[in-house]
Amino acid sequence: MAGRANIPTNSSALIAIIADEDTVTGFLLAGVGNVDLRKKTNYLIVDNKTTVKQIEDAFKEFTSREDIAIVLISQYVANMIRFLVDGYNKPVPAILEIPSKDHPYDPAHDSVLSRVKYLFSAESVASDRR
Amino acid sequence: MDSVDGYLLLMNSLSSALRQGWLDLASARHSMGPSRVLSTLFDHKEQSAATKLQVVDHDGLKPSEPKPHFALSKWSLQEECHSTYDVSERAFTEPKMRHRGSVTTPENGNHESANTTASSTGADASNHVQRARSKALSVFGGLVSPKLRTAQLSFETALDLIVELANSRSNMLASFSQLKE
Repeated sequence: MAGRANIPTNSSALIAIIADEDTVTGFLLAGVGNVDLRKKTNYLIVDNKTTVKQIEDAFKEFTSREDIAIVLISQYVANMIRFLVDGYNKPVPAILEIPSKDHPYDPAHDSVLSRVKYLFSAESVASDRR
Repeated sequence: MDSVDGYLLLMNSLSSALRQGWLDLASARHSMGPSRVLSTLFDHKEQSAATKLQVVDHDGLKPSEPKPHFALSKWSLQEECHSTYDVSERAFTEPKMRHRGSVTTPENGNHESANTTASSTGADASNHVQRARSKALSVFGGLVSPKLRTAQLSFETALDLIVELANSRSNMLASFSQLKE
């Protein structure tokens, strides 16, 4: 179990996005885009030229920033860095896997639901043993 | 299991909102031209997000189990609402103002001034939101397709659902860590 997360209580925080161009464009239209003094953005547009390393770096950066409370990641992108996403267990920022235009949401791959499923299967095995 | 069902229902609603947004975005791109709706047009100058989150830390059963609660603050409206809320609160507590031409009892006058203040602050908030939306759209030029505006609304709806999903996730993870122990 990870230690207590550094949650910026009652303060404003950002939503970060790692997704395809249209998804990022849409959320930027809704006002979530942020560019800081060092020209760092709170989003990464993933296209066919984006490397897995770039996605990993963006995920690690967004999950370590104190001003980000939710990280939205297209599920097909999350699948590229599944080991990182599944290994993440802090309450904030919350990681939400979302569908993309070409890849509908699959609950079987969602890291939160997988954790729940694992817990229920462990519980049922434990109760069978009793 | 109810929380998992709830999460899946929310995810389903999110998928619908996103699909509508993508469709509207594609329609806008078709009518405005592909070169006018591109990520390369995004402004990379320093700017603060207009839509943010408020995070409140609720402790789970044990202090070591943080259970954050997320609330959306669209178009900096919460900051606006706080300032306008103070005004409407003051209307109840301050001495009643005499309104020219109004023939009302003191209490009614007080309520009327509060209602007038509340409706004017509501109108101010609405104007503020419209200005903020137009500013976000202006990245793509002065005249934009109505479809781009509806895409914006679809993604705003998606944001509401995302915050609900985040809260649902927070509740699920807190419950399951209790069960684990």
